[in-house]
Amino acid sequence: MKLSLTGIEKSFGGWKCAAGAAFSPGVHLITGRVGSGKSTLALLAARVIRPDKGIVQYEGIHSHTLSFQYPENHVTTSSLEEEAFSYGVEPDHALDLAGINAGKTLDPFRLSRGELKAFHITCLSLRPWDLLILDEPFSALDCRGKMAASGNISERKKEITLVCTHEQHFLPRTDFLWEMRSGLLTYLGPVPEAIPSWQSATGPVRRLRAQGILPVNLTWQDILEAACRMHD
Amino acid sequence: MIRIHNLVYRNLRIPDLTIHPGTTALIGRNGSGKTTLLRLLAGISRPKSGFITLNGIPLVPGKAGFVNEYPDKNALFSRVSDELAGPLRFRNYSCDEVRRRVLEGARNAGLDHHLDRTIDTLSGGEKVLIALLSAVISSPEILILDEFDSHLDYDTLKEADQLIASSGSGLVVRCTQNMDLAARCGGVIVLHQGTVLHAGPPEKVFPSLGSTCCYPFTWRQGR
Repeated sequence: MKLSLTGIEKSFGGWKCAAGAAFSPGVHLITGRVGSGKSTLALLAARVIRPDKGIVQYEGIHSHTLSFQYPENHVTTSSLEEEAFSYGVEPDHALDLAGINAGKTLDPFRLSRGELKAFHITCLSLRPWDLLILDEPFSALDCRGKMAASGNISERKKEITLVCTHEQHFLPRTDFLWEMRSGLLTYLGPVPEAIPSWQSATGPVRRLRAQGILPVNLTWQDILEAACRMHD
Repeated sequence: MIRIHNLVYRNLRIPDLTIHPGTTALIGRNGSGKTTLLRLLAGISRPKSGFITLNGIPLVPGKAGFVNEYPDKNALFSRVSDELAGPLRFRNYSCDEVRRRVLEGARNAGLDHHLDRTIDTLSGGEKVLIALLSAVISSPEILILDEFDSHLDYDTLKEADQLIASSGSGLVVRCTQNMDLAARCGGVIVLHQGTVLHAGPPEKVFPSLGSTCCYPFTWRQGR
């Protein structure tokens, strides 16, 4: 199973997003500054938009989806029940897992944004996607929602998962680290080896690095373990 | 100072709450009523019963700068320069003053290269930054921010914080799910199912959340 981006470029006005990369099974974390091109990359990788140049190739990928940054963009029906069915999942189970205590007939737009995000992310997690592309999956979620979402993502070891995020604390167990640098996708390497060269690192990781400490991975447990480590 | 008394609105039930000048973080689980309260504080919604006062006077619309949690819902105009000029034009500033403030504000915030762009070409994070600048550009008395920080990276968030600090707004209420950010605020309000569970300085509020994931990461990290 492989996602290949071969010499792709996409221009908007004077700005360009470019990437040459191959994504193998595992969790790929993609970070970068605001406006660096993460969402554009996600759209290209999901084949929602076409590159001006280059090829996006799926090998052995039989199912794929993209989660947009804003959950309201995914709403296509007028009730939570219909919405769950539209993802191909059972409504009661999805609502229960998302921790939403609301009637199935409720209009999705009556939920708070965090609840809607939790519902959307939960519905996605109940399907076995070969390729899952997540654009800011943690925004609007409370810490319990973030922990649940990152836990679900961490378990996707045999599939390909791309996570574009600014999340600072509740990241999934990450196999490979990437960075968007002024529109150019840059491979930093496997985790934890790539952590020292991570320019857009989270606050907790920056604090650890400043003390010469390297966490074994990026989950909140890994960061706390590293901070509290008393021996090598 | 904002005072809330006997407030009943949708799922919110707040008998008495005082929000002091400075920056206050509003935290709580998804669906706890944070956005509902922020919209009341911004004067966008009106309480069905009870009252909200700002410095002893009933809160009226137009006093607050507001950043919506939905970045796409913040913009009234299609061009960035018009979006930034909007709050100043609504306050009847002269054309020269509007132009001067927009250019100066955008330059100081490092956003002047976006001025000629249309809002729909901005990334999610860029939309939030423009919304924030638009909210502070007329130096509103109070600033109400609904979880804009979840769309920003670590470095951009620091720049946004500088923008807020230099806004001149004497009272800022910001909803966040970043507890490290909340811990740096002067006050913290914890909402739970529409009621205030805790309110006070971070040193007083967060110890009661020590067994939850809401406890600030930096406090756990320690070093």
